[in-house]
Amino acid sequence: MDTNSRPVVVKRMPERLNSRAAREFLRDVQPFLVTDRPQLVFDLSQIKQLDAAGVEMLLRCMSEAHKRDGDLKLASLSPQAAVVLELTRTERLFEIYETSADAVRSFSGFLPNAMRQQLLHRQQPPAPLAA
Amino acid sequence: MDIRALVLVSKAVEAAADPMPVSPLAPALLEVAGKTALQRTVERLREFGIQSATVITDSDFLVSEDSEDEQGTTYQATPRERFWRAAENAFNDLAQEGAELVLLMHLGGYAEINLEKFVQFHLDQRARVTQASAPGEPLRIFCISASRRNDAASLFRSQLSRCRSECPFFEHEGYFNPLREARDLRQLAIDILTLKTETKPCGSEMRSGVWIERKAVIEKGARVLAPAFIGAFARIRSHAVVTRCSSVEHHAEIDCGSVVENSTVLPYCRVGAGLDVAHSVVGAGVLANLRRDVTVEIADRKLVGFVVAGRGQQFLSAAFELATYLPKQMWRGLFGPSQPQPRDLRTALHDTSPSLGGAAGYQTSACDTDAAEKFPSNLAVARRYGHQ
Repeated sequence: MDTNSRPVVVKRMPERLNSRAAREFLRDVQPFLVTDRPQLVFDLSQIKQLDAAGVEMLLRCMSEAHKRDGDLKLASLSPQAAVVLELTRTERLFEIYETSADAVRSFSGFLPNAMRQQLLHRQQPPAPLAA
Repeated sequence: MDIRALVLVSKAVEAAADPMPVSPLAPALLEVAGKTALQRTVERLREFGIQSATVITDSDFLVSEDSEDEQGTTYQATPRERFWRAAENAFNDLAQEGAELVLLMHLGGYAEINLEKFVQFHLDQRARVTQASAPGEPLRIFCISASRRNDAASLFRSQLSRCRSECPFFEHEGYFNPLREARDLRQLAIDILTLKTETKPCGSEMRSGVWIERKAVIEKGARVLAPAFIGAFARIRSHAVVTRCSSVEHHAEIDCGSVVENSTVLPYCRVGAGLDVAHSVVGAGVLANLRRDVTVEIADRKLVGFVVAGRGQQFLSAAFELATYLPKQMWRGLFGPSQPQPRDLRTALHDTSPSLGGAAGYQTSACDTDAAEKFPSNLAVARRYGHQ
């Protein structure tokens, strides 16, 4: 069922996300977070340095989005960001997608991600046999 | 027979600019399960009967000036640009002192070579220079007849890449680790802890597979699961877990609730509280994740940092924390922001939803229905998080 017509905001995160940059970034995304049912995608492809303040900011954004019945998803994680999220045990709290487009698309479907994958596999035509 | 050893430790010949980004030290100077590859090599030389070894390094970390330890090993620090000249001079000195054979080892990697067989092979071959080789690659380990100074000089001047005369290869069949990257360092720790090497972890085996060095502190509630190594003066704080061939080197610290799994924590490194370090080598503000094959600089000292304070300073800071704890709590209690009280379901339902709050202009309840009457206030409310 595809009933979603609300906009999805995609935001690219800065290269370094220390406490100062995190505060600035939070100030930037605050207007989107306070809307009704915000749908946000953070693109982490450019992140070279992520510290505890940055992770805390991500969690805060997610919590704010959930409070308003919205969601925050992460996309295109750089290896550095992936390592820090894994280190701080926070990667399991977020929905993480390969690309921002995938993350945006995920908002439009109602089905849980795992079920959508299963459906996709079922719908795919069988691979052509080798001649 | 007078056999001497000349051990060279440098980063100068490594192909990569920074082969081991987790530490500024040469790989042979990094502790693995309590000892460096250099220390293990010198010990091995002693076991073979070579009491006086000369170690030449271009690293100031090992030694600030020429020195000799109580077991007769001489250490010489030399600038990088004069490293090979110093090595050649040291060889000549050994020859002048009456050495008949010189074992030359350039420690990039760690090899457990059978020295007896190596020397015998050299003598049998009647060669001037013999080189050891592991399957697939020649090692930078040579046996040189001390009287053949010109051959030695040509070897040193080519940075051990070329020999003037014919150089037979001795096939090494024992353990060898090239120690080129963080992965090799981790592999060496695993091999030592699983006893695949002849060398053993330092310290005493407290339980089967758990080696703990002197003055290591394992706080109550912390768990160390075999095989694992905890170095001298290291501290494993409460509810931390060290497991799966992990090696926490001397003076390192694992803070409360952190899990160290299949990882090496280098000396003086501190892993912050509540972290999950897996398949990694943790260095000075650097973490090499082996599964992702990526090295990440971590500037945040809350995550990965240095243990810099001495014992006295640590004690003073702990005492200060203790002394100021009670006044701080009183201050917070009197003047700090008050904690929001948990509300029951009825109040929550009758309050305006935050998303519809002042900005939306709604003043009436968003959920002013009879449903609230039907549910008791202690009913658990399940929310959807993400797609779960």
